[in-house]
Amino acid sequence: MDWGTLVAGVLTLAILSFLYRDNPVYKMAESLLIGVSIGYFLVITWSNTVMDLLIVPLTRNGRWSLVVPLLLGLMMFGRFHRKTSVLSRIPIAVLIGSGAGVAIPAMLEARTLKQVSATVSPLFTSSGLPDISIIVVLLGVLTTLSYFYFSREHKGVLGTSAVVGTYFLMIFFGTTFGYTVMSRMSTFIGRVEFLLSDFLHVTQ
Amino acid sequence: MIKLESRHWIFLGLFVLVVGAMVLNISFDIAVTDETQRLYNLIDSLPEGSTLIISFDHEASSLPEIRPLALVVLRHTFSKNIKLIGTALLAEGTGVGYQLMNMVAKEYGKQYGIDYVYLGFKPQYIAAILSMGESIPETFPEDYLGKPVAQLPLLHNVKNYDDIAGVISIADGSLTTHWIEYGASRYGVRVSAAVTAAMMTTYDPYLASGQLYAMIGGLRGAAEYERLINRGGAGKRGMLAQTVSHIYVICLIVVGNIVYFRAKRKKRSNS
Repeated sequence: MDWGTLVAGVLTLAILSFLYRDNPVYKMAESLLIGVSIGYFLVITWSNTVMDLLIVPLTRNGRWSLVVPLLLGLMMFGRFHRKTSVLSRIPIAVLIGSGAGVAIPAMLEARTLKQVSATVSPLFTSSGLPDISIIVVLLGVLTTLSYFYFSREHKGVLGTSAVVGTYFLMIFFGTTFGYTVMSRMSTFIGRVEFLLSDFLHVTQ
Repeated sequence: MIKLESRHWIFLGLFVLVVGAMVLNISFDIAVTDETQRLYNLIDSLPEGSTLIISFDHEASSLPEIRPLALVVLRHTFSKNIKLIGTALLAEGTGVGYQLMNMVAKEYGKQYGIDYVYLGFKPQYIAAILSMGESIPETFPEDYLGKPVAQLPLLHNVKNYDDIAGVISIADGSLTTHWIEYGASRYGVRVSAAVTAAMMTTYDPYLASGQLYAMIGGLRGAAEYERLINRGGAGKRGMLAQTVSHIYVICLIVVGNIVYFRAKRKKRSNS
Protein backbone atom coordinates (compact mmCIF):
# COMPACT_ATOMS: atom_id res chain seq x y z
CA MET A 1 0.00 0.00 0.00
CA ASP A 2 1.39 3.40 -0.96
CA TRP A 3 1.54 6.33 1.47
CA GLY A 4 -1.18 8.27 -0.36
CA THR A 5 -3.72 5.45 0.06
CA LEU A 6 -2.74 4.99 3.71
CA VAL A 7 -3.20 8.70 4.49
CA ALA A 8 -6.50 8.86 2.54
CA GLY A 9 -7.82 5.76 4.34
CA VAL A 10 -6.92 7.00 7.82
CA LEU A 11 -8.40 10.46 7.11
CA THR A 12 -11.61 8.91 5.72
CA LEU A 13 -12.04 6.92 8.94
CA ALA A 14 -11.21 10.05 10.98
CA ILE A 15 -13.98 12.01 9.22
CA LEU A 16 -16.46 9.12 9.55
CA SER A 17 -15.77 9.02 13.31
CA PHE A 18 -17.93 12.16 13.56
CA LEU A 19 -20.97 9.92 13.00
CA TYR A 20 -20.44 8.66 16.56
CA ARG A 21 -19.73 12.06 18.05
CA ASP A 22 -17.47 15.10 17.74
CA ASN A 23 -13.91 14.15 18.70
CA PRO A 24 -10.29 15.41 18.43
CA VAL A 25 -9.41 13.00 15.59
CA TYR A 26 -12.30 14.37 13.52
CA LYS A 27 -11.32 17.96 14.40
CA MET A 28 -7.75 17.28 13.27
CA ALA A 29 -8.90 15.82 9.93
CA GLU A 30 -11.33 18.71 9.40
CA SER A 31 -8.65 21.34 10.13
CA LEU A 32 -6.25 19.52 7.81
CA LEU A 33 -8.84 19.59 5.02
CA ILE A 34 -9.43 23.33 5.42
CA GLY A 35 -5.70 24.11 5.64
CA VAL A 36 -4.72 21.99 2.64
CA SER A 37 -7.62 23.34 0.54
CA ILE A 38 -6.69 26.97 1.23
CA GLY A 39 -2.98 26.31 0.70
CA TYR A 40 -3.68 24.51 -2.58
CA PHE A 41 -5.98 27.29 -3.78
CA LEU A 42 -3.40 29.98 -2.93
CA VAL A 43 -0.57 28.19 -4.75
CA ILE A 44 -2.70 27.49 -7.85
CA THR A 45 -4.04 31.07 -7.93
CA TRP A 46 -0.55 32.53 -7.49
CA SER A 47 1.01 30.47 -10.27
CA ASN A 48 -1.93 30.48 -12.74
CA THR A 49 -3.13 34.03 -12.21
CA VAL A 50 -0.62 36.38 -10.64
CA MET A 51 2.40 34.85 -12.38
CA ASP A 52 0.89 33.68 -15.70
CA LEU A 53 -1.47 36.56 -16.37
CA LEU A 54 0.34 39.48 -14.73
CA ILE A 55 3.97 39.25 -13.67
CA VAL A 56 5.35 37.15 -16.57
CA PRO A 57 3.59 39.08 -19.39
CA LEU A 58 4.47 42.40 -17.73
CA THR A 59 8.14 41.77 -16.96
CA ARG A 60 9.17 39.38 -19.76
CA ASN A 61 6.83 40.27 -22.63
CA GLY A 62 6.58 44.01 -21.91
CA ARG A 63 2.77 44.15 -21.95
CA TRP A 64 2.54 47.54 -20.23
CA SER A 65 -1.25 47.70 -20.59
CA LEU A 66 -1.36 45.25 -17.67
CA VAL A 67 -0.27 48.08 -15.36
CA VAL A 68 -3.94 49.22 -15.34
CA PRO A 69 -5.36 45.98 -13.83
CA LEU A 70 -2.30 45.83 -11.53
CA LEU A 71 -3.10 49.29 -10.16
CA LEU A 72 -6.80 48.44 -9.84
CA GLY A 73 -5.87 45.28 -7.96
CA LEU A 74 -3.54 47.17 -5.62
CA MET A 75 -6.32 49.70 -4.92
CA MET A 76 -8.38 46.85 -3.45
CA PHE A 77 -5.88 46.63 -0.58
CA GLY A 78 -6.85 50.20 0.34
CA ARG A 79 -9.75 48.67 2.28
CA PHE A 80 -7.37 47.72 5.08
CA HIS A 81 -6.94 51.35 6.17
CA ARG A 82 -9.65 53.91 6.89
CA LYS A 83 -7.83 56.76 5.08
CA THR A 84 -7.28 54.79 1.87
CA SER A 85 -10.47 52.73 1.89
CA VAL A 86 -12.10 55.09 -0.63
CA LEU A 87 -9.61 53.86 -3.26
CA SER A 88 -11.11 50.38 -3.20
CA ARG A 89 -14.38 51.76 -4.55
CA ILE A 90 -12.84 52.30 -7.98
CA PRO A 91 -11.94 48.63 -8.73
CA ILE A 92 -15.23 47.52 -7.15
CA ALA A 93 -17.12 49.88 -9.46
CA VAL A 94 -15.20 48.53 -12.45
CA LEU A 95 -15.97 44.95 -11.39
CA ILE A 96 -19.67 45.60 -10.86
CA GLY A 97 -20.02 47.62 -14.06
CA SER A 98 -18.22 45.18 -16.32
CA GLY A 99 -19.72 42.17 -14.54
CA ALA A 100 -23.27 43.44 -14.94
CA GLY A 101 -22.63 44.38 -18.56
CA VAL A 102 -21.41 40.89 -19.35
CA ALA A 103 -23.92 38.99 -17.23
CA ILE A 104 -27.25 40.75 -17.91
CA PRO A 105 -27.60 40.04 -21.67
CA ALA A 106 -26.28 36.49 -21.28
CA MET A 107 -28.55 35.64 -18.38
CA LEU A 108 -31.55 37.29 -19.99
CA GLU A 109 -31.10 35.16 -23.05
CA ALA A 110 -30.11 31.85 -21.42
CA ARG A 111 -32.26 31.92 -18.29
CA THR A 112 -35.32 33.85 -19.47
CA LEU A 113 -35.87 34.03 -23.23
CA LYS A 114 -34.67 30.50 -24.10
CA GLN A 115 -36.54 29.02 -21.11
CA VAL A 116 -39.77 30.86 -21.96
CA SER A 117 -39.57 29.79 -25.60
CA ALA A 118 -39.02 26.18 -24.47
CA THR A 119 -42.10 26.41 -22.25
CA VAL A 120 -44.35 27.87 -24.93
CA SER A 121 -44.27 24.94 -27.32
CA PRO A 122 -47.15 23.64 -29.47
CA LEU A 123 -49.69 21.83 -27.27
CA PHE A 124 -50.51 19.32 -30.00
CA THR A 125 -48.25 16.91 -31.79
CA SER A 126 -48.00 16.83 -35.59
CA SER A 127 -50.52 13.97 -35.59
CA GLY A 128 -53.09 16.18 -33.85
CA LEU A 129 -52.90 14.48 -30.45
CA PRO A 130 -52.35 16.57 -27.31
CA ASP A 131 -48.72 16.57 -26.08
CA ILE A 132 -49.22 15.62 -22.42
CA SER A 133 -45.73 16.57 -21.23
CA ILE A 134 -45.96 20.06 -22.76
CA ILE A 135 -49.40 20.58 -21.21
CA VAL A 136 -48.11 19.50 -17.78
CA VAL A 137 -45.10 21.85 -18.09
CA LEU A 138 -47.34 24.77 -19.10
CA LEU A 139 -49.81 24.02 -16.29
CA GLY A 140 -46.93 23.80 -13.80
CA VAL A 141 -45.41 27.12 -14.92
CA LEU A 142 -48.72 29.02 -14.82
CA THR A 143 -49.96 27.64 -11.49
CA THR A 144 -46.55 28.03 -9.80
CA LEU A 145 -46.32 31.63 -11.03
CA SER A 146 -49.82 32.27 -9.68
CA TYR A 147 -48.67 31.05 -6.25
CA PHE A 148 -46.02 33.80 -6.25
CA TYR A 149 -48.50 36.50 -7.31
CA PHE A 150 -49.12 38.44 -4.11
CA SER A 151 -50.92 41.54 -5.43
CA ARG A 152 -54.32 39.87 -4.98
CA GLU A 153 -55.68 37.66 -2.23
CA HIS A 154 -55.47 33.96 -3.09
CA LYS A 155 -59.23 33.34 -3.47
CA GLY A 156 -61.43 31.86 -6.19
CA VAL A 157 -59.63 30.86 -9.43
CA LEU A 158 -56.36 32.41 -8.26
CA GLY A 159 -56.60 30.52 -4.96
CA THR A 160 -57.22 27.17 -6.71
CA SER A 161 -54.41 27.84 -9.15
CA ALA A 162 -52.04 28.75 -6.28
CA VAL A 163 -52.91 25.52 -4.46
CA VAL A 164 -52.18 23.50 -7.62
CA GLY A 165 -48.92 25.48 -7.88
CA THR A 166 -47.90 24.38 -4.40
CA TYR A 167 -48.33 20.73 -5.47
CA PHE A 168 -45.94 21.32 -8.38
CA LEU A 169 -43.51 22.98 -5.96
CA MET A 170 -43.76 20.02 -3.56
CA ILE A 171 -43.05 17.60 -6.41
CA PHE A 172 -39.98 19.67 -7.34
CA PHE A 173 -38.74 19.77 -3.72
CA GLY A 174 -39.32 16.04 -3.38
CA THR A 175 -37.42 15.28 -6.59
CA THR A 176 -34.54 17.53 -5.57
CA PHE A 177 -34.40 15.93 -2.12
CA GLY A 178 -34.45 12.46 -3.67
CA TYR A 179 -31.58 13.32 -5.99
CA THR A 180 -29.65 14.85 -3.08
CA VAL A 181 -30.07 11.66 -1.04
CA MET A 182 -28.90 9.71 -4.09
CA SER A 183 -25.88 11.99 -4.41
CA ARG A 184 -24.86 11.65 -0.76
CA MET A 185 -25.32 7.88 -0.90
CA SER A 186 -23.09 7.77 -4.00
CA THR A 187 -20.40 9.69 -2.13
CA PHE A 188 -20.64 7.33 0.84
CA ILE A 189 -20.60 4.26 -1.42
CA GLY A 190 -17.53 5.67 -3.19
CA ARG A 191 -15.65 6.02 0.11
CA VAL A 192 -16.75 2.56 1.32
CA GLU A 193 -15.53 1.10 -1.97
CA PHE A 194 -12.18 2.85 -1.50
CA LEU A 195 -11.89 1.55 2.07
CA LEU A 196 -12.79 -2.03 1.11
CA SER A 197 -10.69 -2.29 -2.05
CA ASP A 198 -7.69 0.06 -1.97
CA PHE A 199 -7.26 0.45 1.80
CA LEU A 200 -8.27 -2.91 3.31
CA HIS A 201 -8.08 -5.10 0.17
CA VAL A 202 -11.28 -6.93 1.19
CA THR A 203 -12.80 -6.64 -2.29
CA GLN A 204 -11.22 -6.39 -5.74
CA MET B 1 -17.98 3.24 27.42
CA ILE B 2 -19.59 3.43 23.98
CA LYS B 3 -23.23 4.46 24.27
CA LEU B 4 -25.33 4.13 21.11
CA GLU B 5 -28.29 6.40 20.44
CA SER B 6 -31.02 5.82 17.84
CA ARG B 7 -29.20 7.82 15.14
CA HIS B 8 -26.10 5.64 15.63
CA TRP B 9 -28.18 2.52 14.92
CA ILE B 10 -29.46 4.18 11.73
CA PHE B 11 -25.87 4.94 10.58
CA LEU B 12 -24.76 1.46 11.55
CA GLY B 13 -27.63 -0.10 9.59
CA LEU B 14 -26.67 1.88 6.48
CA PHE B 15 -22.99 0.99 6.89
CA VAL B 16 -23.76 -2.74 7.21
CA LEU B 17 -26.06 -2.67 4.16
CA VAL B 18 -23.57 -0.80 1.95
CA VAL B 19 -20.60 -2.95 3.02
CA GLY B 20 -22.69 -6.11 2.56
CA ALA B 21 -23.75 -5.02 -0.93
CA MET B 22 -20.16 -4.16 -1.91
CA VAL B 23 -18.81 -7.49 -0.63
CA LEU B 24 -21.56 -9.47 -2.39
CA ASN B 25 -20.72 -7.57 -5.61
CA ILE B 26 -23.86 -8.64 -7.48
CA SER B 27 -24.34 -6.69 -10.68
CA PHE B 28 -27.60 -6.33 -12.56
CA ASP B 29 -28.74 -4.75 -15.78
CA ILE B 30 -30.01 -1.20 -15.68
CA ALA B 31 -31.93 0.69 -18.33
CA VAL B 32 -30.11 3.47 -20.16
CA THR B 33 -31.87 6.85 -20.09
CA ASP B 34 -32.22 9.05 -23.18
CA GLU B 35 -29.88 11.71 -21.73
CA THR B 36 -27.05 9.22 -21.22
CA GLN B 37 -27.64 7.70 -24.64
CA ARG B 38 -27.46 11.18 -26.17
CA LEU B 39 -23.99 11.88 -24.72
CA TYR B 40 -22.82 8.45 -25.83
CA ASN B 41 -24.16 9.06 -29.36
CA LEU B 42 -22.51 12.49 -29.49
CA ILE B 43 -19.05 11.14 -28.66
CA ASP B 44 -19.57 8.01 -30.74
CA SER B 45 -20.56 10.00 -33.83
CA LEU B 46 -17.58 12.38 -33.76
CA PRO B 47 -15.00 11.72 -36.46
CA GLU B 48 -11.52 10.61 -35.36
CA GLY B 49 -9.26 13.56 -34.61
CA SER B 50 -12.10 15.84 -33.42
CA THR B 51 -11.29 17.90 -30.36
CA LEU B 52 -13.35 18.10 -27.19
CA ILE B 53 -12.87 20.25 -24.10
CA ILE B 54 -13.34 18.42 -20.81
CA SER B 55 -13.66 20.85 -17.93
CA PHE B 56 -13.19 19.59 -14.38
CA ASP B 57 -15.50 22.03 -12.60
CA HIS B 58 -15.74 20.34 -9.22
CA GLU B 59 -14.23 20.21 -5.77
CA ALA B 60 -12.22 17.35 -4.35
CA SER B 61 -14.98 16.50 -1.85
CA SER B 62 -17.28 15.18 -4.59
CA LEU B 63 -14.59 12.90 -6.03
CA PRO B 64 -16.32 9.60 -5.09
CA GLU B 65 -19.26 10.53 -7.30
CA ILE B 66 -17.38 12.51 -9.94
CA ARG B 67 -14.58 10.00 -10.56
CA PRO B 68 -16.77 7.22 -12.10
CA LEU B 69 -18.45 9.82 -14.34
CA ALA B 70 -15.13 11.30 -15.48
CA LEU B 71 -13.61 7.88 -16.11
CA VAL B 72 -16.42 6.66 -18.40
CA VAL B 73 -16.35 9.86 -20.45
CA LEU B 74 -12.54 9.84 -20.74
CA ARG B 75 -12.45 6.13 -21.65
CA HIS B 76 -15.06 6.55 -24.37
CA THR B 77 -13.40 9.62 -25.89
CA PHE B 78 -9.90 8.13 -25.88
CA SER B 79 -11.20 4.84 -27.33
CA LYS B 80 -12.71 6.83 -30.23
CA ASN B 81 -9.37 8.61 -30.87
CA ILE B 82 -10.84 11.99 -30.03
CA LYS B 83 -8.38 14.65 -28.92
CA LEU B 84 -8.95 16.17 -25.52
CA ILE B 85 -8.22 19.54 -23.97
CA GLY B 86 -8.52 19.45 -20.19
CA THR B 87 -9.33 22.55 -18.17
CA ALA B 88 -10.61 23.34 -14.67
CA LEU B 89 -12.75 26.25 -13.53
CA LEU B 90 -12.37 25.33 -9.85
CA ALA B 91 -8.91 25.17 -8.31
CA GLU B 92 -9.61 21.93 -6.43
CA GLY B 93 -10.57 20.09 -9.60
CA THR B 94 -7.26 20.92 -11.25
CA GLY B 95 -5.12 18.18 -9.74
CA VAL B 96 -7.93 15.62 -9.94
CA GLY B 97 -8.48 16.29 -13.64
CA TYR B 98 -4.78 16.01 -14.45
CA GLN B 99 -4.47 12.73 -12.57
CA LEU B 100 -7.56 11.17 -14.21
CA MET B 101 -6.62 12.28 -17.74
CA ASN B 102 -3.12 10.87 -17.40
CA MET B 103 -4.40 7.62 -15.93
CA VAL B 104 -6.88 6.94 -18.74
CA ALA B 105 -4.50 8.24 -21.45
CA LYS B 106 -1.95 5.65 -20.29
CA GLU B 107 -4.60 2.87 -20.58
CA TYR B 108 -5.11 3.79 -24.25
CA GLY B 109 -1.48 4.60 -25.06
CA LYS B 110 -2.18 8.27 -25.74
CA GLN B 111 0.61 10.81 -26.00
CA TYR B 112 0.60 14.09 -24.09
CA GLY B 113 0.67 17.15 -26.34
CA ILE B 114 -0.54 15.22 -29.39
CA ASP B 115 -3.63 13.31 -28.24
CA TYR B 116 -4.44 15.34 -25.15
CA VAL B 117 -3.31 18.40 -23.24
CA TYR B 118 -4.13 19.66 -19.78
CA LEU B 119 -4.31 23.42 -19.52
CA GLY B 120 -5.28 23.54 -15.85
CA PHE B 121 -7.12 26.16 -13.84
CA LYS B 122 -8.16 29.71 -14.67
CA PRO B 123 -9.89 31.84 -12.05
CA GLN B 124 -12.92 34.04 -12.77
CA TYR B 125 -14.82 31.37 -14.67
CA ILE B 126 -16.98 33.77 -16.68
CA ALA B 127 -13.92 35.64 -17.92
CA ALA B 128 -12.17 32.33 -18.64
CA ILE B 129 -15.11 30.94 -20.70
CA LEU B 130 -15.49 34.20 -22.65
CA SER B 131 -11.76 34.52 -23.20
CA MET B 132 -11.53 30.96 -24.56
CA GLY B 133 -14.23 31.92 -27.06
CA GLU B 134 -11.81 34.50 -28.45
CA SER B 135 -8.54 32.59 -28.12
CA ILE B 136 -7.68 29.46 -26.19
CA PRO B 137 -3.88 29.90 -26.56
CA GLU B 138 -4.08 33.46 -25.24
CA THR B 139 -6.25 32.40 -22.30
CA PHE B 140 -3.82 29.59 -21.48
CA PRO B 141 -0.36 30.73 -22.65
CA GLU B 142 1.07 27.68 -20.83
CA ASP B 143 -0.30 24.28 -19.93
CA TYR B 144 -0.67 22.91 -16.39
CA LEU B 145 3.00 21.92 -16.33
CA GLY B 146 4.21 25.34 -17.46
CA LYS B 147 4.96 24.29 -21.05
CA PRO B 148 4.24 27.04 -23.64
CA VAL B 149 1.25 26.18 -25.84
CA ALA B 150 3.41 26.67 -28.94
CA GLN B 151 5.18 23.43 -27.96
CA LEU B 152 1.89 21.48 -27.84
CA PRO B 153 1.06 20.16 -31.36
CA LEU B 154 -2.60 19.52 -30.47
CA LEU B 155 -3.17 23.24 -30.00
CA HIS B 156 -1.53 24.32 -33.27
CA ASN B 157 -4.85 24.04 -35.12
CA VAL B 158 -7.09 25.11 -32.24
CA LYS B 159 -7.84 28.78 -31.87
CA ASN B 160 -11.22 28.99 -30.17
CA TYR B 161 -14.58 27.19 -29.85
CA ASP B 162 -14.94 27.13 -33.66
CA ASP B 163 -12.32 24.38 -33.69
CA ILE B 164 -13.96 22.43 -30.86
CA ALA B 165 -16.64 19.74 -31.29
CA GLY B 166 -18.07 20.39 -27.83
CA VAL B 167 -17.51 20.99 -24.16
CA ILE B 168 -18.20 18.42 -21.45
CA SER B 169 -18.38 20.01 -18.03
CA ILE B 170 -17.78 17.56 -15.17
CA ALA B 171 -19.35 19.45 -12.29
CA ASP B 172 -20.69 19.22 -8.76
CA GLY B 173 -22.17 22.73 -8.69
CA SER B 174 -23.53 25.46 -10.91
CA LEU B 175 -20.48 26.02 -13.13
CA THR B 176 -22.05 24.16 -16.04
CA THR B 177 -24.67 26.94 -16.09
CA HIS B 178 -21.90 29.39 -17.01
CA TRP B 179 -20.76 27.16 -19.85
CA ILE B 180 -24.38 27.24 -21.09
CA GLU B 181 -24.84 30.99 -20.58
CA TYR B 182 -21.54 32.13 -22.04
CA GLY B 183 -20.14 29.23 -24.07
CA ALA B 184 -23.32 27.88 -25.66
CA SER B 185 -25.46 31.03 -25.89
CA ARG B 186 -22.75 33.44 -27.00
CA TYR B 187 -20.36 31.25 -28.99
CA GLY B 188 -22.67 28.40 -29.99
CA VAL B 189 -20.43 25.67 -28.61
CA ARG B 190 -22.26 22.42 -27.82
CA VAL B 191 -22.25 21.96 -24.04
CA SER B 192 -22.88 18.63 -22.29
CA ALA B 193 -22.59 17.77 -18.63
CA ALA B 194 -21.55 14.98 -16.29
CA VAL B 195 -22.84 16.06 -12.91
CA THR B 196 -23.52 14.82 -9.40
CA ALA B 197 -27.07 13.53 -8.84
CA ALA B 198 -27.86 16.49 -6.54
CA MET B 199 -27.40 18.88 -9.48
CA MET B 200 -29.58 17.04 -11.97
CA THR B 201 -32.79 18.95 -11.23
CA THR B 202 -30.87 22.22 -11.71
CA TYR B 203 -29.89 21.23 -15.23
CA ASP B 204 -33.10 19.48 -16.31
CA PRO B 205 -34.71 22.72 -17.60
CA TYR B 206 -31.62 23.44 -19.72
CA LEU B 207 -31.71 19.91 -21.06
CA ALA B 208 -35.41 20.20 -21.91
CA SER B 209 -34.87 23.50 -23.73
CA GLY B 210 -31.93 22.09 -25.71
CA GLN B 211 -29.42 24.55 -24.24
CA LEU B 212 -27.66 21.60 -22.66
CA TYR B 213 -27.04 18.94 -25.29
CA ALA B 214 -26.74 15.87 -23.07
CA MET B 215 -26.27 14.99 -19.41
CA ILE B 216 -25.23 12.03 -17.31
CA GLY B 217 -25.69 12.24 -13.58
CA GLY B 218 -24.57 10.49 -10.44
CA LEU B 219 -23.40 6.95 -9.89
CA ARG B 220 -26.37 5.69 -11.88
CA GLY B 221 -25.38 7.79 -14.89
CA ALA B 222 -21.89 6.31 -14.67
CA ALA B 223 -23.35 2.78 -14.46
CA GLU B 224 -25.51 3.44 -17.55
CA TYR B 225 -22.52 4.73 -19.47
CA GLU B 226 -20.39 1.77 -18.37
CA ARG B 227 -23.05 -0.48 -19.87
CA LEU B 228 -22.94 1.46 -23.16
CA ILE B 229 -19.16 1.26 -23.48
CA ASN B 230 -19.31 -2.36 -22.30
CA ARG B 231 -16.85 -1.91 -19.46
CA GLY B 232 -17.37 -2.47 -15.74
CA GLY B 233 -16.49 0.18 -13.19
CA ALA B 234 -17.41 1.88 -9.94
CA GLY B 235 -20.87 2.79 -11.27
CA LYS B 236 -21.89 -0.82 -11.96
CA ARG B 237 -20.27 -2.05 -8.74
CA GLY B 238 -22.12 0.57 -6.69
CA MET B 239 -25.61 -0.05 -8.09
CA LEU B 240 -26.59 -2.79 -5.62
CA ALA B 241 -25.32 -0.69 -2.70
CA GLN B 242 -27.24 2.32 -4.00
CA THR B 243 -30.44 0.32 -4.46
CA VAL B 244 -30.38 -1.21 -0.95
CA SER B 245 -29.44 2.14 0.62
CA HIS B 246 -32.40 3.83 -1.13
CA ILE B 247 -34.79 1.10 0.04
CA TYR B 248 -33.35 1.59 3.54
CA VAL B 249 -34.03 5.36 3.40
CA ILE B 250 -37.58 4.77 2.12
CA CYS B 251 -38.21 2.33 5.01
CA LEU B 252 -36.84 4.90 7.49
CA ILE B 253 -39.16 7.59 6.10
CA VAL B 254 -42.19 5.25 6.35
CA VAL B 255 -41.27 4.13 9.90
CA GLY B 256 -40.58 7.75 10.94
CA ASN B 257 -44.00 8.84 9.67
CA ILE B 258 -45.81 5.95 11.41
CA VAL B 259 -44.06 6.78 14.71
CA TYR B 260 -44.84 10.49 14.26
CA PHE B 261 -48.54 10.01 13.56
CA ARG B 262 -48.95 7.42 16.32
CA ALA B 263 -47.34 9.79 18.82
CA LYS B 264 -49.58 12.62 17.58
CA ARG B 265 -52.71 10.49 17.94
CA LYS B 266 -51.65 9.35 21.42
CA LYS B 267 -51.04 12.95 22.48
CA ARG B 268 -54.47 13.99 21.17
CA SER B 269 -56.28 11.13 22.93
CA ASN B 270 -54.47 11.97 26.21
CA SER B 271 -55.49 15.62 26.06
